[in-house]
Amino acid sequence: MLNVLVVDDSLAIRIKMKGFLKKLGHDIVREAKEGKEAIQLYKEYAPDLITMDISMPGMNGVDALKEIMEISNREANVIMITANGQDGIVKDALKLGAKGYILKPISKEKLQDSIGQIFPEYFCSDNVLLDDNDLDDIFV
Amino acid sequence: MNDESKVIHTYTKDILHPIIKRVKTYLEEEMNIDVFNTSDITCPKNIHLKKNTVMIGTSGSIKLIITLGFDEVLLNKLVEVFMEGEDIGDCDIEEVTNSIACEVTNTIIGNAIDNPVDSSDIYITPPVLIYEAKTLNKYKDSKFAFVTFITKYGEIELTAVGPKEQFENELEFKDQ
Repeated sequence: MLNVLVVDDSLAIRIKMKGFLKKLGHDIVREAKEGKEAIQLYKEYAPDLITMDISMPGMNGVDALKEIMEISNREANVIMITANGQDGIVKDALKLGAKGYILKPISKEKLQDSIGQIFPEYFCSDNVLLDDNDLDDIFV
Repeated sequence: MNDESKVIHTYTKDILHPIIKRVKTYLEEEMNIDVFNTSDITCPKNIHLKKNTVMIGTSGSIKLIITLGFDEVLLNKLVEVFMEGEDIGDCDIEEVTNSIACEVTNTIIGNAIDNPVDSSDIYITPPVLIYEAKTLNKYKDSKFAFVTFITKYGEIELTAVGPKEQFENELEFKDQ
């Protein structure tokens, strides 16, 4: 189980994100509505993972990411969330140290894939792993 | 609405076409709401913005204000689909509804925005909800482009307003 900080100015997205994370078996430590609040909560709770909206009023997600990467020596695990998939914006975030990004609309599957790329132990955790005997049974 | 000439600046058309397409695919594929009819792009002299209109500004080499206005029944349907299976706890339902109007607009415009002029990135502002219906009249060289989408739950109206520099927040014209 990961401790996750959800950062988004949208109440609707915070509700959806919390729902998906709970269904995936993770725990939401806190939620923030903008960048400065996110930095403060990162310092306080050191979550395993942050989901960070890029476009927020006040301090935006890219500026907050930059500061969190400095504080954490680039060790924080941050997934950026954006509706705007233009190369430059996403590339900037990845260059700054974001571990991945999700293009809206968000879904449980997109979130699971992104988490799995950072934490392989959670990759496709909903899928049942099959061994050779199971495969034999399927193809009989 | 009074339509003037059908001549629309090419880049406005080029920006609107992907947004028009994304409104339809978003409603049909993400929300399971059929779009029965989509109007042509018109250039009215004034526009009436519904209550429940969300505006987003663009910056970079393209400077526009783009709005999506939702009929109330349609917005309630979007809320129902968006929040299906989620626990809204003690959240204020009006706040959730407003947030979903903003989120739907942000996703549609963010997914669709592209730069037909010079391929540089276009940035979009966070969405802002206009709580009261209002009418905007053309002012100096401002231009409006307007499209309506019809569904069984009501309409969505898409408007592009420019140039952005002529407007204050919430689409009030600046004094020149």
